[in-house]
Amino acid sequence: MSTAVLNHDQPAGHASAPPATAKFGMIMFLASEAMLFAGLIGGYIVLRLSMPQWPLPLEDGRVVHLPWLLTGINTVFLVTSSFTLHFAEVQVKKGKSGLPLIFVTILLGSLFVGIQCYEWWHLHHEGLWFNSGGVYGSSFFLMTGFHGVHVLVGVLLILWCFLRQVFTRCFTPAHHVALENISLYWHFVDVVWLFLFAIVYLWH
Amino acid sequence: MSAITAEPPASTGQAHHPEVGFFHKYIWTYDHKMIGIQYLWTALFFLLVGGGLALLVRYQLAWPNTPVPLIGQFLPATVASDGAIIPGGYNMLVTMHATLMVFFVVMPLLIGTFGNFLIPLQIGAGDMAFPLLNELSYWLYVVSGFLILAAFFAPGGAPGTGWTAYAPLSAEAKYNGTQMGQSLWGIAIFVNGLSSIAGATNYITTVVNMRAPGMTMFRMPLTVWSLFITAILLVLAVPVLSAAAAMLFCDLNMGTSFFKPAGGGQPLLWQHLFWFFGHPEVYILILPAMGLVSEIIAVFARKPIFGYKAMVYAMIAIGFLGFIVWGHHMFVSGMNLTLSATFSVSTMFIAVPSAIKTFNWMGTVWRGSIEFTTAMCFALAFVTMFVIGGLSGIFMASTPVDLFVHHTYFIVAHFHYVIFGGSILAIFGALYFWFPKMFGCMLNETLGKVHFFLTFIFFNLAFFPMHNLGLGGMMRRIADPTVYEHLRQLQPLNQISTIGAMGLGFTTFIFLGNIIITLWNRKSHPAPDNPWHANTLEWTVPSPPGHGNFPVTPTVYHGPYEYSVPGLDKDYLPQTEPAPAHVKLEAH
Ligand code: HEM
Ligand SMILES: [Cu+2]
Repeated sequence: MSTAVLNHDQPAGHASAPPATAKFGMIMFLASEAMLFAGLIGGYIVLRLSMPQWPLPLEDGRVVHLPWLLTGINTVFLVTSSFTLHFAEVQVKKGKSGLPLIFVTILLGSLFVGIQCYEWWHLHHEGLWFNSGGVYGSSFFLMTGFHGVHVLVGVLLILWCFLRQVFTRCFTPAHHVALENISLYWHFVDVVWLFLFAIVYLWH
Repeated sequence: MSAITAEPPASTGQAHHPEVGFFHKYIWTYDHKMIGIQYLWTALFFLLVGGGLALLVRYQLAWPNTPVPLIGQFLPATVASDGAIIPGGYNMLVTMHATLMVFFVVMPLLIGTFGNFLIPLQIGAGDMAFPLLNELSYWLYVVSGFLILAAFFAPGGAPGTGWTAYAPLSAEAKYNGTQMGQSLWGIAIFVNGLSSIAGATNYITTVVNMRAPGMTMFRMPLTVWSLFITAILLVLAVPVLSAAAAMLFCDLNMGTSFFKPAGGGQPLLWQHLFWFFGHPEVYILILPAMGLVSEIIAVFARKPIFGYKAMVYAMIAIGFLGFIVWGHHMFVSGMNLTLSATFSVSTMFIAVPSAIKTFNWMGTVWRGSIEFTTAMCFALAFVTMFVIGGLSGIFMASTPVDLFVHHTYFIVAHFHYVIFGGSILAIFGALYFWFPKMFGCMLNETLGKVHFFLTFIFFNLAFFPMHNLGLGGMMRRIADPTVYEHLRQLQPLNQISTIGAMGLGFTTFIFLGNIIITLWNRKSHPAPDNPWHANTLEWTVPSPPGHGNFPVTPTVYHGPYEYSVPGLDKDYLPQTEPAPAHVKLEAH
């Protein structure tokens, strides 16, 4: 993160790595995140391809289907939030505060997490959980869980940007590294979701 | 190509840094040099722990089921009974030894210590790009160290599933008998991975963005190149292991079934994920060592590195190929034969860049005026031992041969030749070489030579017989070879090996003694700025360098290996000194 670049070697006021460097570091970090999800998704594909039937039935023989429609709507929310954050950045570059759009992003992000939670609760209610439905349940909850945590972290980071901007107006057209990097992260989490949505919900 | 400095740290004068207190100097520091030294001490501590475990393993193999002298009574009940090691305990020792050595000793020494210490100094930067992230990476390593050691105190004892933790043994508590121990292993690997990723991100960013003016990519010392490529491998390979560790943890604790056939899971999936990480990992363990050795060899042969660019491209090739050979660890897993042949061939391809490097080292020392310092002895030993390990690697790359030697001591011999004979010898050499820069005093050369010769002899005594043991049919990870008819006649070899291992353990104390004595009398052997007459940037500043490294940002005029250039009055030319007009440099 951009605050992770404090360098006490240099006099105050020069406390962080230059924006281009910080951004480069963020991209490297996201490359490793991409490999984390590649590992999870790769595992899922291997497991799934060797199954004669998918979704796997529960222990009592029932088959629980994923609510793809609701999640589809939720996907729209997440994708929209990527755009709102992007345009917030554009606004900041133009010298505006960007606050309304950042706020909308936080709302959309939280909505996404909320609906995912509801979906988990719903599936749990239906009998699908980490430890039921074999690898079907296992992989679904691990992948969406890992992703959900990433979204949650993203929301908190954006909230932190929001509060900083409200109280200090620290993002100027010339200098808004934190916002830039967090929005990179947010777009990344969004793209990962599109992959997950496609292979977990839409692949029949 | 003109150099890129992210932001010229215009005169990071050492004078205007206020003295920092003890806590900010030694415990929570943002200075890459001190972070490197933190890594050094912590990893040497783990070296002693991991070495102790290895000695217990060796003791059991040489004299099975006899009480361990001196410390037998103090071993926990999960490991020994009446002072003698029990089979389950033996598995724990083997597992913890390997895990500690790979993740807590060799990686932190090569990457944590030398990566941190050398990268900014050798590229002319004041520090890493993200100093806070750097320190965070060190403390994550420490946390993961506590977690892995805690496994010894878990109710069922430490995990005994090998450093490869194959499922389903590792994934079912009722098989491995230590749900908590195995879970702690998984968590420790995960946290250790976070530390590696944080460090690697930082190194890549630093190398790409923070080089001094004139320091083009092809003027970087091979050390920096090797660490740079290693960092890329880390960023791409470690997260896959983290994903696997997460699945393992869930299987153990949350009732998921990734690796359990009953729920549709696949034990083989673990092997694929583990080795997709595991093979790049072994190059992570050797590439930095190759970089360190290249530097030492050029300096003490007083010759330019033979084929600098070939060395760089060879490392890139090794890094790339490393990602497509993981199946050579799984030839006996019931793999399809076409796939098996593919993995065989891709593995043999790796021998090509490895051989290029070896020949280039030979070309570098060829007709050099060699100075046999301790560092140079270790570097030359690295090359020879690496060749032996590399050659046995090629044997095993061939499926039909591997079907015979897989899971025998032949494999154990192979990887100890590359990891001890390679990485650890390189680390020793590099410590003799850079110790003056790190601490401002010279290690004792006489003790160093004793350390070198004993290490070299005992190493071969300990590990060469393992080739014969393996070909004679001795399996890995068996607690008592004497229960097998066909192994009884080989028992003397096991005893020879154990004697060698004990010798190695003893020799390590000579080394530690050397460090302690030197640091104790540090005033009496002060190190000059450039004791070895080397060219790279770290030797242009005082030993140890001050905070911020360079009083003024250095400018680089040529590559790092201009030794014995005809027409110069000295046999080296630091990177900060332009060549006089009448002297023509070979390259860059
Ligand atoms: C010329 C280069 C190399 C080749 C062709 C090669 C080939 C192989 C093969 C085929 C195996 C699997 C054998 C089996 O389990 O049946 C193996 C195992 C291993 N290699 Fe190498 N190798 C090479 C270099 C290295 C290097 C440089 C390192 C580390 C620094 C290394 C570390 C290991 C380790 C740790 C194992 C054993 C893993 C385990 O099962 O626990 N190898 N190697
Ligand atoms: Cu391998």
